[in-house]
Amino acid sequence: MSANADFQPKIIVFACENSGWLAAEHAAELALSYPERVELIKLPCSGKIDVLFFMKALEKADGTIVLACQKENCKFIKGNIRAAQRVKQTENLLKEIGIEPERVGLYYLAANMGHKFVEIIQNFYDKIRELGPNPGKVIK
Amino acid sequence: MIIAERKPIEEILGLLSKHQKVLVLGCGGCVTVCLAGGEKEVGILSSQLTMARSKEERPLEIVQKTIERQCDFEYFEGIRHIVKDVDAILSLACGIGIQTCAEAFPDKIVWPGVNTKFLGVNLNVGEWAERCQACGQCVLDKTGGICPVARCSKSIFNGPCGGSQDGKCEVSPDTDCAWALIHDRLTRLGEVDSLREILPVKDWSYSRDGGPRKLVREDLELESGK
Ligand code: SF4
Ligand code: SF4
Repeated sequence: MSANADFQPKIIVFACENSGWLAAEHAAELALSYPERVELIKLPCSGKIDVLFFMKALEKADGTIVLACQKENCKFIKGNIRAAQRVKQTENLLKEIGIEPERVGLYYLAANMGHKFVEIIQNFYDKIRELGPNPGKVIK
Repeated sequence: MIIAERKPIEEILGLLSKHQKVLVLGCGGCVTVCLAGGEKEVGILSSQLTMARSKEERPLEIVQKTIERQCDFEYFEGIRHIVKDVDAILSLACGIGIQTCAEAFPDKIVWPGVNTKFLGVNLNVGEWAERCQACGQCVLDKTGGICPVARCSKSIFNGPCGGSQDGKCEVSPDTDCAWALIHDRLTRLGEVDSLREILPVKDWSYSRDGGPRKLVREDLELESGK
């Protein structure tokens, strides 16, 4: 547990509309709950994610992830591969300025995985809670 | 196109260390195409800088702007009102644009945000190679369209030298021997005999020989000047 037990991370989740976004809807249908300070942003494909989106997200959040279709199952063939590349690039940009690269991530899931969606969000949330607040946050 | 690469972030943070408010100024020309200093790179760098400074608890306010080109004075006119309110400008244009920016704003500190590398071509995503050194008197007509000045490591005109091995230059196995390329291409075109022609030595007076170069075309000049 982090030193600050009251710390509630803010997380921005970019979700592919063919997997992560539908999984979030599935989770809602199942009435599953996940932490409050999680903001979801819909993408037409995980490949639409951009280093700039992650960086902008981290100006105001403690962590950010992209939810992509399972490997080899991207509707646009290479979107999830591109997403992985952009996560790597963002990790490097964060390392350069001494911010933990773990604050950005990529998770794979399918549209019918409501439970998996909640598990991913909860695990990432807990991980960021352990890490503590993003020291580079600009908008506090 | 002019190929540039962004300077390391620590170097840029060092340059900006004493400022509280800066303009990060991109260029819509070559550096946009080579992904070093266009609108998107301005955004990413600005994020990195503000986060790094926020982490040090010395906030940095950044104004982001990308203009059409930084190598033409007129495009700076539209940003005078922004420049007035910042401590300094970080220009992400090539060395030409950075200097033009400094000339356009003589009373403002202008920092370079990129290292300008060479005049080159985009070979692949993330891969560029030098093609021309602006020698001032092009010889591509004699060399099958392959430049011996920029692409031969020794810039020789009577290559290949003894260091050419299997089409590669002795400088590095990754570097093609320009003269092997020239020979192969002229052979392919059925023009290899043209290499037998004895040429006068290259006239380097068109190059850097007389100091900084300037081109004036009187046919284009207007009475109002620049
Ligand atoms: S300032 Fe440099 S990078 Fe920008 S368009 Fe002009 S030559 Fe190209
Ligand atoms: S010969 Fe001179 S002008 Fe022509 S490509 Fe080579 S360096 Fe450029």
